[in-house]
Amino acid sequence: MAPDPGNPSLIYLNNAATTWPKPPEVLDELVRCLRTPFFEPGRSTAGNVTDYPTATREALAVFFHAEEPDHFIFTQSATDSLNILIQGFAKNQKTPFHAITTELEHNSVLRPLNTLEGQGALTLTTIPFHDSRVTLQDIKKAIRSDTRLVVMTHGSNVLGSLQHIRPIAEYCATNDIFLIVDGAQTAGLIPINLSEIPAGAFVLTGHKALFGLPGIGGFYIQDPQAIAPTRQGGTGTDSRTLVHPQDMPQKFEAGTPNYPGIASLLAGIHYIEREGQDAITNKCRSLTSRFIGKLTKDLNIILYNPAADLPVVSFNIRNMDNDEVGYILAKAYGVITRTDLHCAPLVHNRIDGGKGCVRVSFSYLTTPDECLMAAKAVREVAAGADR
Amino acid sequence: MKEYILDEPLTPAFLTFLRSFGIVKEYPHMKRPYFSFEHEHFISIKGFTGDTSVEVRYQKGFSDLTSDYFHLLLFYSRQGEPGIRKMHEIEESIRERMKIRLPR
Repeated sequence: MAPDPGNPSLIYLNNAATTWPKPPEVLDELVRCLRTPFFEPGRSTAGNVTDYPTATREALAVFFHAEEPDHFIFTQSATDSLNILIQGFAKNQKTPFHAITTELEHNSVLRPLNTLEGQGALTLTTIPFHDSRVTLQDIKKAIRSDTRLVVMTHGSNVLGSLQHIRPIAEYCATNDIFLIVDGAQTAGLIPINLSEIPAGAFVLTGHKALFGLPGIGGFYIQDPQAIAPTRQGGTGTDSRTLVHPQDMPQKFEAGTPNYPGIASLLAGIHYIEREGQDAITNKCRSLTSRFIGKLTKDLNIILYNPAADLPVVSFNIRNMDNDEVGYILAKAYGVITRTDLHCAPLVHNRIDGGKGCVRVSFSYLTTPDECLMAAKAVREVAAGADR
Repeated sequence: MKEYILDEPLTPAFLTFLRSFGIVKEYPHMKRPYFSFEHEHFISIKGFTGDTSVEVRYQKGFSDLTSDYFHLLLFYSRQGEPGIRKMHEIEESIRERMKIRLPR
């Protein structure tokens, strides 16, 4: 991990929020991108510079095994993507419909859906999880004749549990139900093959395990007709017409792209490809199981999912508030975590009575020593609380 | 939330003073002896005894009334019992202004 000049012993374990540090290659690409004029056809006459939007769409298509590069849409974030998709899907429906989501979801899913329910655009069923997962059987039980939409996470940002979305995607596709998969916690951490997952849309964020900057996200959409666009503006092409273009990717993009963000995403993808997705997945799993292994026998520590698939471990220490644990870990040990509800209130209602917990999340750039030092710190705090 | 750097380290005597106004929790057996102070609607404080930095949180909606409260605590903590009485008076005056703002 790159040392922080202000705190050389900083151990950053909040990668589920945003990854830090970024690989040097990402920082180099950012500098390179900022040293030349930005270019995109229709927006500039600059030559001999990288067309980052086009290059990145193509890289995303290869990385995620998707057929259509132009079906990758850039947004500000996974939250932005989910709002575009959920609002855009609802806008396309002629009558109120039934939607399904889960207790595992982030507020970027729950809030748009609850807002639409409050407006009378849909009725919503929220499926409980069991053993940190929601299964196809759970979803089938909730299906009604007017179900048109399922929105669910690929990986829980609190429990670190991977959802088996392929059978769910196949079922939804067969039954004319639009499935939106929130891949914010999985893209870049595990192999994802969109040609084998027939989801209506897959959401990604650039600044977590894809190692890009905050401010860049996106989604892949199989059938653009399923979603009505919710923003219109300049696209750099067809400027004469006052009607926003409907061809891809312009249908869902307007305004000047976040070129540095897109460049960082491109570099992040290349970094992952160079290191190897399997190597990244395996290292993250190893860090997670080592960390959990150090905590699991301590009776003062409550682990909410000792079998986490993703490098996300949530816990509480008995007789301590989670924000106090987070404060002590940060200030006394230099271990940076996240506390409270992690924007996923329904998960916490189930696991800790809505009080929140401490979350540790690793990245490929976390070292084994950092993982072990953090586990030691947590155990020392737990021991201190017990005296 | 604000982090303040103090002129002097926080002392156990200051924690004793705080107990007159709210709930003090201590975990003295941590790597650094941790404390927290909670005074509902006013402030919450976190820090380590013997440290010169402290984290103070003010409740939204009242922070303009309570923004000086922490520094007043520091000031009057040096005055012992008269300081406690004075802080209670100040607090009462702030509470009156809070009542005007609280929903009926």
